[in-house]
Amino acid sequence: MKHPLIYNTKYLMLYGIFWFLIAGASAAIQWNYYDMPLDVSLISPLTQYLLFAALALSIWYVVKYNPVEANSWWKLVFFHIIASSVLILIWVFISNVIINMITPNLNELMTMSLPTRILSGYIMYVFYVFFFMSIVYYENFKEKVKKEGELKALIREAELHALKSQINPHFLFNSLNSISSLTMSDPAKAQEMVINLSSLMRYSLKHGQNETVSFGTELQNIKLYLSIEKVRFGRKLQPVFKVDEHCYQGVIPNMILQPIFENAIKYGVYEATEPVEILTEATCSNDALEISVTNSYDPGVRSKKGEGIGLRNIRERLQIIYGNSALLKIKDNRKNFTITLTIPQKNTLS
Amino acid sequence: MNEPKIRTLIIEDEELARRLLRTYLNEYPELEILGECENGFEGVKSINELKPDLIFLDIQMPKITGFEMLELIDHHPEIIFTTAYDQYALKAFEYNAADYLLKPFSKDRLQGAMEKVKEKLAKMPEAHEDIVEKMNNFPREEFLDRIVVKDRHKIHIIPSDQIRYIESLDDYVLIYTNDGRYMKQKTMHYFESALDPHNFARIHRSFIVRVDQIAQLQQYEKESYIAILHDKTKLKVSKSGYKNLKEMLNF
Repeated sequence: MKHPLIYNTKYLMLYGIFWFLIAGASAAIQWNYYDMPLDVSLISPLTQYLLFAALALSIWYVVKYNPVEANSWWKLVFFHIIASSVLILIWVFISNVIINMITPNLNELMTMSLPTRILSGYIMYVFYVFFFMSIVYYENFKEKVKKEGELKALIREAELHALKSQINPHFLFNSLNSISSLTMSDPAKAQEMVINLSSLMRYSLKHGQNETVSFGTELQNIKLYLSIEKVRFGRKLQPVFKVDEHCYQGVIPNMILQPIFENAIKYGVYEATEPVEILTEATCSNDALEISVTNSYDPGVRSKKGEGIGLRNIRERLQIIYGNSALLKIKDNRKNFTITLTIPQKNTLS
Repeated sequence: MNEPKIRTLIIEDEELARRLLRTYLNEYPELEILGECENGFEGVKSINELKPDLIFLDIQMPKITGFEMLELIDHHPEIIFTTAYDQYALKAFEYNAADYLLKPFSKDRLQGAMEKVKEKLAKMPEAHEDIVEKMNNFPREEFLDRIVVKDRHKIHIIPSDQIRYIESLDDYVLIYTNDGRYMKQKTMHYFESALDPHNFARIHRSFIVRVDQIAQLQQYEKESYIAILHDKTKLKVSKSGYKNLKEMLNF
């Protein structure tokens, strides 16, 4: 947050005019009411009020860097007492020096009014603190409303993506084509594939977007998916699993692994003419389940591109569910592509 | 009586899809199946060697797509595309395809495609080159992210982020990369519209350059400039080319 006055010429001018008017009014009172000479009436208020106006701008930083939420009350009060005392000391000292420079015959008056000046300094300080605090509060509130709006839009978009990407239509059409072929050459296998495909679709329809399932269930589903793809790709697709069995109880958002494997097949297996291994590893501790999927690929085939919609979708879901999109990590050494998911656990594994 | 058979090649990466097509095609005695190719590389080789009358062509295949394969062949057979993707249909007909079969397709649907092929084969053969050239002028939905080229020995895939610049040479262009230069029979106009204009600029009648390769611009004569690339290559920049660069780079 920037200083609300210094960086805004309009507000800074208004602020200056405000203090000029106060100083002017004070001078008028001294001249008319107390019958002081004009020069004396002008010099003292102009110097003191305008100097205070300038010094008080720094109170913003005291308020900003000592937020109410992060400090205890006594600490905050203590800090402001020190800051205000320093500020008032400087103010009184400098205004005395300046006024003394202009006209030494006001010295007595200055000394006499010292307690009043210090008291009014503290009072003005308190007003400033409340003024700046309300600005900070207002800005934070605006920021929060804006962020909430963005988050809502993101959730809607993520839901839309999720609906679209649950089952890739091309995967479906190619699988149906395989089945069409198998009905003639190997009806038993065709039947098996229809059943597998049905189970996969049922699974993806059954669970809602924000539901969680056990890692074991999700893994079962992935194996089903891979077995269907295996019929299409034959020996080109070589799935390998290295998974600790006691990780099966871990809890993960449903269908979060599917896009990772789709990705591995699209860029690893599909572009290959030789067998490609898709290695799935999982380890778990008390508070996290770590799943990584690695596939080799041919880096020379196309230009580098950003993350595809599938991975972006996972990031968005992790952001929504766990508030942390960095739980998905990508490692690409231009030969192997590894995606690692770290899913926080609430003691379900112990 | 003894009409010549329609010599046919199947180019398809999935075994089950090939098997299905073979089974379907068994019912057409007028076809002679020359063989099957599992990817675009094999496809290019077999088409140039066997010169088939008809190919069944999948679009999404390993290494190079069906469309990229078509750019590399010297002989132009009739084409029936077979794919699970419906979004390429328009492009397929720009290549003068006889038909476009969406997987999975029925025997009846194949029957329709075969009739179209026979009709086309009965007509005078068309000049394919013109058609391929014509389609280059179609507006594109996506910019090229790679270019495939063929020299005498092998097929090269050049990701577009590895192109340094392109030079025209009569009916050909020379594509310069860090690994060497490659020749391709395409027009400058084609590359000018097919490559992402955020990255590539036509700086001269004979040159398209990848903008991040330019190290500096030097005035040469009153209204012409020279672009010096990071590797010290010097390329001429015409007046309109200079204007293009100026717009792109905001100087």
